[in-house]
Amino acid sequence: MKTFEEKWTAWLDDQLSGHELSEFEASLPDKAAAETEKAEARKLRELLKRELSAQPLTNEEFFSHQLREKITQKSRELPRAVAGQTATSRWWTIPRLLWAGSASLAVFLVFTVAVIHEKNPAEESQYLTQILNARVDPIVSPNATVAIFEVKQDRVTVLWTEGLQSLPADYAAK
Amino acid sequence: MGRSLAFVISIGALMMSGAPALQAAETVWSGLVMAENVAQPQSIPPELTRIEGSLKRFFGYNQFQVIGQSEKVLKTGQEDWLATSKFFGLHVDARGESPGGYVLNLKLYKEKELLLETEAKLSKRSPLVIKGPQVGGGQLLLVLVVQ
Repeated sequence: MKTFEEKWTAWLDDQLSGHELSEFEASLPDKAAAETEKAEARKLRELLKRELSAQPLTNEEFFSHQLREKITQKSRELPRAVAGQTATSRWWTIPRLLWAGSASLAVFLVFTVAVIHEKNPAEESQYLTQILNARVDPIVSPNATVAIFEVKQDRVTVLWTEGLQSLPADYAAK
Repeated sequence: MGRSLAFVISIGALMMSGAPALQAAETVWSGLVMAENVAQPQSIPPELTRIEGSLKRFFGYNQFQVIGQSEKVLKTGQEDWLATSKFFGLHVDARGESPGGYVLNLKLYKEKELLLETEAKLSKRSPLVIKGPQVGGGQLLLVLVVQ
């Protein structure tokens, strides 16, 4: 058993016929208003059908050509990428490693020499002998003094004592 | 070409790793030297050749004779030794090695009498000369050189 709404929808869509149509139209309280509504519904349907239908592609061929080009390009790039990976792994062979090692060694030596040359003037005193302290027996030589000299020409450090007890020439014996 | 390159690298590595080992054992020459002015000076001992100019300029003598000496190979930098003449003794006590040289404690004795004591950092490239007492017309010098 159809409800009124189902019959109304079917009537708007011209789906009712025969006895069912005449019976439904007789049941309508205001047939003129219903006809107006039916006409408006039809207009709306036609408008929707016209406006919402899928736009036909005017240049279908162009798009499919573009798509094919893309696919071709991608399929060309893929083997190249694989080949690139293989080449990268092949780069670190033993000769390449040796070259890289020797180059690193050369760079290291250059920097070492540069650093040593830079440091030498400032650290020259480090290569001279340093007197840390000196003491003369105050009982044996009460007036003795000490002084320190550096002869930079020959890199000689001299501890100069003055006032030590003088000794006879016999003490020079071997 | 790869083999020759590997050879060069190996030699370089060996040289670099061997350098500290070569530095480890060094000889220190310690000498008691009499400096005098004489009419006919004798030639300077070979240990003093490299500082001959400085000795003559600084002390004003024309002859330098070794009256006592000692050569010590330093392996640990903790050794001690004695250089003696008939009346003098130089006791050297090495107290460790530093990057610049050896720390030494030096004591000069006249027979059993301590005349002078000093502590010095003896550089491997720089000799040490100590002016000792006047002996007759000359001067006693103490010289230490890393050979």
